[in-house]
Amino acid sequence: MTLFAVTRLELRRLFVRPLGWIIAALALAELGWRFALLLQIFLLNQVRLAALPDGPGYTDLVAVRLYSSFITGSPLPFGMIELALLLVPLLTMSTLASERSAGTLPLLFSTGLSSSRILLGKYLAVLIWLALWLLLALAIPVSLAHGVTLDWGKLAAATLGTFLALAVLGAIGVACSAFASHSAVAAVAALMISLALNCINLGAQLAGINNGFINWLAMSTHQETLLRGLVSSADVVWFLLAITVALALGTQRLAADKERD
Amino acid sequence: MSDLTLRLEAGQVLGLLGVNGAGKSTTLAMVAGALRPDRGAIRLQGRDFLEQPELARQAIGWLPEAAPLWPELTVREHLEAHGRLRGIAGVRLDEARDAVLERLELKNLSRRLAGVLSQGQRQRLGLACAMLHRPALLVLDEPANALDPVQVVALRALLRELADAGTAVILSTHQLTEVTAVCDRVAILHEGALRHDAPLPADQHAALEKNFFDIAMAGRAQAA
Repeated sequence: MTLFAVTRLELRRLFVRPLGWIIAALALAELGWRFALLLQIFLLNQVRLAALPDGPGYTDLVAVRLYSSFITGSPLPFGMIELALLLVPLLTMSTLASERSAGTLPLLFSTGLSSSRILLGKYLAVLIWLALWLLLALAIPVSLAHGVTLDWGKLAAATLGTFLALAVLGAIGVACSAFASHSAVAAVAALMISLALNCINLGAQLAGINNGFINWLAMSTHQETLLRGLVSSADVVWFLLAITVALALGTQRLAADKERD
Repeated sequence: MSDLTLRLEAGQVLGLLGVNGAGKSTTLAMVAGALRPDRGAIRLQGRDFLEQPELARQAIGWLPEAAPLWPELTVREHLEAHGRLRGIAGVRLDEARDAVLERLELKNLSRRLAGVLSQGQRQRLGLACAMLHRPALLVLDEPANALDPVQVVALRALLRELADAGTAVILSTHQLTEVTAVCDRVAILHEGALRHDAPLPADQHAALEKNFFDIAMAGRAQAA
């Protein structure tokens, strides 16, 4: 299928560009350092926590906190989701904007592929890259599974929540790249939209507004439930809806390219 | 573009001439399936590929102006990516890739990144990508750009060879000599309209030159 030919081409481009490797290396180094600190804090408090009847364990205080700082209330900044807010726009900025500036986008159109399939092919490549990144990050807390008691269900729900958040950020990045003629513009636009979507409820609360719709609109609201180990279909649907809206807008913009000279 | 009708037979080489902005590249982009016309039909072997865009994938090869490439991919990776996008894979792709690398003298550049190729090499790679899947129709926008005289002669020979094998070729160029050297037919576009479409006359170059300048100068006089 030619959709996978687009995915394969984009993956190749992602893996040969130094930026992808630099992003992955920096992010994993930061997560490794964060893990070591979280583990140290956990070990210092282990005896006190063990005395509590329903006290949090390794999964709550180390594994899940690796994924997010903002939502889990971790004392250390920059969990995986906060890093992704900054790094995913850098990863996705070139997916379509660079095709447009290099003049290779018409070549893709000439293969008879529809705009939606071109965009979907690109998005799949980004999703594969993000899934690999998440798997490597997941391997860090799981590496101690033989020595600690892991709550596999809670970890699976938190991993799903993180994956869905990454998928939304990837979709926003690809859509912004479809709208932009320059990669840098795509990166800035994706960063602004991602930050706004993640923190819109916080901003509203700071302004004294506590609105149910604004809370529902914020990505962090839906991530929070999943990071607590609760998989709700309403939250999963929100993520799927956000991905669909971003990809549909990106497809519309890409289709317009085929109509104009 | 307005009311443009062109018909091309298998094995024919059509030269598309016109001054800058005449609509040559736009026409070729529409024929190649990269740009969608507001109305009309583009038929390939009797089938409308605006209705069935997947026909274009296998039957058309396109070299746009200035041969756009992915700078981070090697020559070999370009050919493989183009092959997969055109629906060929496996042994067929390997054979097709090796054949065009050989035919366009790119074999010793196969592991070089496209971003560091010279203009002439880029143009040859673009042409290799366009003809990789042996399309029935080859659409070439200024293919001789940046080629040295030896490569230009080799390109003419290649186009004649492809035409003799049954490939239809549309060739857009500014060079009248290019048209007289390889084309069976010539079409002249001016301000988005077809002004001339006929087989090349027997006295070729002089007649073509007269026709072309008559159309171009009449257009300018009208504009003035």
